[in-house]
Amino acid sequence: MSLELKIQSLKLNEGENPVRKKAIIVAVAGNPNSGKSTLINAIAGTRLQVGNWPGVTVEKKTAVFEYEGRKIKLVDLPGTYSLSPYTQEEIIARDYLVHEKPDVIIDVVDATNLERNLYLTIQLLELGIPVVIALNIYDEAMKKGYKIDIKAMEKMLGVRVIPTIATKKSGLKELLKAITEIVDNPAIHIPKRLHYEEDFELAAASVESYIKTTYPHLAEKYPLRWFSFKLLEGDQHVLQEINLSENETFIKDIREHLKRSHGDDIESLMADERYAQASGLTHEVLKKPETRKIEMTEKIDRIVLNRFFGIPIFLAAMWLVFKLTFDVSGPFADWLDAMITGPFKRWAETILGFIHAPEWTVSLATDGIIAGVGFVIVFVPVIFAMMFFITFLEGSGYMARAAFVMDRLMHAIGLHGKSFIPMLLGFGCNVPAIYATRVLENPRDKALTALLIPLMSCGARLPVYVVFVGAFFPHNAGTVIWSLYVMGISLAILMGVIFKKTLFKGEAPVFIMELPPYRMPYFRSLMIHTWEKGKHFLIKAGTYILAVSIIVWFLLNLPWGVENKRDSYLGKMGQVIAPVLEPLGFGKWEAASSLVAGLIAKEIVVGTMGEIYVPKLEDKKEEKPSLTEDLKEIGTSLVSAAKDSIANIFSTFGIASLSSEESPEMKEERESLRNVIRKQFTPLTAYAFMSFVLLYMPCVVAAIALRQEFGTWKWYGIAFVYQMALAWIVAFMIYQGGKIIGLG
Amino acid sequence: MVPLGLLSKGEKAEIVDIKAQKGYYHGKGKDLLCYVYNIGLHIGKTVEMLNNAGRGSVLVKVDESRIALGRGIAMKIMVRRIEK
Ligand SMILES: Nc1nc2c(ncn2[C@@H]2O[C@H](COP(=O)(O)OP(=O)(O)OP(=O)(O)O)[C@@H](O)[C@H]2O)c(=O)[nH]1
Ligand SMILES: [Mg+2]
Repeated sequence: MSLELKIQSLKLNEGENPVRKKAIIVAVAGNPNSGKSTLINAIAGTRLQVGNWPGVTVEKKTAVFEYEGRKIKLVDLPGTYSLSPYTQEEIIARDYLVHEKPDVIIDVVDATNLERNLYLTIQLLELGIPVVIALNIYDEAMKKGYKIDIKAMEKMLGVRVIPTIATKKSGLKELLKAITEIVDNPAIHIPKRLHYEEDFELAAASVESYIKTTYPHLAEKYPLRWFSFKLLEGDQHVLQEINLSENETFIKDIREHLKRSHGDDIESLMADERYAQASGLTHEVLKKPETRKIEMTEKIDRIVLNRFFGIPIFLAAMWLVFKLTFDVSGPFADWLDAMITGPFKRWAETILGFIHAPEWTVSLATDGIIAGVGFVIVFVPVIFAMMFFITFLEGSGYMARAAFVMDRLMHAIGLHGKSFIPMLLGFGCNVPAIYATRVLENPRDKALTALLIPLMSCGARLPVYVVFVGAFFPHNAGTVIWSLYVMGISLAILMGVIFKKTLFKGEAPVFIMELPPYRMPYFRSLMIHTWEKGKHFLIKAGTYILAVSIIVWFLLNLPWGVENKRDSYLGKMGQVIAPVLEPLGFGKWEAASSLVAGLIAKEIVVGTMGEIYVPKLEDKKEEKPSLTEDLKEIGTSLVSAAKDSIANIFSTFGIASLSSEESPEMKEERESLRNVIRKQFTPLTAYAFMSFVLLYMPCVVAAIALRQEFGTWKWYGIAFVYQMALAWIVAFMIYQGGKIIGLG
Repeated sequence: MVPLGLLSKGEKAEIVDIKAQKGYYHGKGKDLLCYVYNIGLHIGKTVEMLNNAGRGSVLVKVDESRIALGRGIAMKIMVRRIEK
């Protein structure tokens, strides 16, 4: 008592010091999908990843904000079911809590699934850090007719319990108030010690006192009660960390004693002990209604997971995503294209002319930078639209179903349904997808998944398809592009089977995954995630692609004063490689040079083509419109693009328009890459070329991601070799096969 | 006593044993056991089969969560049917 008071007054004194300005560290822990990220977003209004499949938040994310003059730092921990050291998420979360010692833990508890969530709570309480429970998703619990006795819960756990609805920002003020109260007075908020079975308590107490006397530095470093339990359980992670063996005599003695009276597996016994607490508590505080109505989630699952309809529904959903993506974004992409090749370029020329910049810098700026970056920027609407729809599927809960439905197919390639999620993310960008393989528990699954991810057609490949499809297949653009995605998936299956039989022999992995309930994603969180996913592309366009555009421009214009692009360095490289591509139908130096540039990032293929092909057409000089005319034109055409986009959404659902899409406004013969491409390619060679771009080697950024995740270049090397071979063979078969059946 | 994987859609059962031994999950039988435990599948729990196509993974309901399980692990979880 007196000790407590002392600590209290100490802290109060601190309160008057500037020490108070130091940020209060609040860790947000909880089960996967309990709403941690949503809660942090709601409080701090920052942009954090929110998803609806368990395990989205793999990395630690933080948000800092001011509340009543104090700085509070929220740390979003990965979702875990427990603090055992068996998954990467658990280890991340637990290491943070144990070593960083946050001031307060917000334990986000899913009120609709109290028992399992409290199992984690019980473990958090062992840490001896003040805990506030955010009883989240309270709205759904109410809707189900649950009655939760919050007062009783607070009393039994000895912590504050605050009902919250993160999505509606309700309960947040009370939560913040509780946090400040705790920080003002931490000593009286140290959570209650829940009492486990006597034998365990005694054993833990003797370990505690032994540690305190023999290893005082460990007693400093770790929360003592928690640490003692871990030693008793024989937790490998902790033992490794402190460099002690399980056989250390004092632990061994105590363990032996416990084993004699309780059997071999102390870890499981402790788990049962904790679970019994969680279960008992739940029975005390939760009243469920007698009758349970069949929930919407169950009804939807009956259809979506049906053994016959499951896969067709999945394919249809993917098709709809692509269709909607292009319908919505197409008009905006065209608008951007017109802006960049028109007014924007003219302005740059005018400005550079005005300051008497040398001729070659004008060319570098317009043909190099504006054309190169511009061609890529045009695809921003497409990529953001696609990210938006994928995020929607993720947030609605369907993505996890897709994993379930695909599990059987995934088994054929030696993986399970869970690997399917990183692969799906690969459609957005291979780079985050490779990082997402972290959710897989074992290294074999990780490596195999990462090797197959580059076959998922990422957003960077879209620009290439869009240009070619617009030139050759404007009437079934959606279908042709969809076929490329399907090709990627099919080849991933084929390669998976091959890898399973060669590089990755051995048992098939184990599949366990929770399927979240269906929820209507909130628009705000959709926007945040769409932005999170799409921004990689913007950053790449702004930095990487800018740099490469400049390099490519030089390669195209060196040696100095080169007349014909053919004789430039890049052109020469293209000429060397072209014969290899001859059997694939596009053995031209232009195509080969673009592919060389695309080794860095696939979207550069289009940019380079723009630089190689387009300037050639620049003979006719149009008269220049004035600035005001330009601005007016930009405005009116944007409005009409928005109109077209909306009209397209509605026409998507009209049956008639599904097959006969209106061609985009190609009416005004804009100086466009597509026109040149039409002369250089045939529909068959265009398709072979797109397939080649789909398959040939992962980009450099993906290579770096592979290296980072696995700590070796080995997997990138394998990916490089197999993809190059695959790309050549597939394009060869398409072109030669097509010629034989008379498509050439 | 039957393996969970043999229940058909709509059947409810109580878990009586989980036969994940050492050496099963890539030499770390305990990890698997632990994960199954943490996600809410314990001895004594009532599960309801929501989806079982005879092949591939199954979907069961435990408390308020829906959990997809590979067939391999579903065959290691022994249950006793609860008569309706
Ligand atoms: N109805 C309702 N839904 C909520 C509430 N809080 C969060 N959600 C939804 O629950 C889902 C999961 O939320 P997240 O914030 O991603 O959960 P998380 O705990 O961060 O999940 P992981 O990062 O995967 O561990 C989202 O679809 C949210 O919209 C709530 O209070 N009520
Ligand atoms: Mg999260």
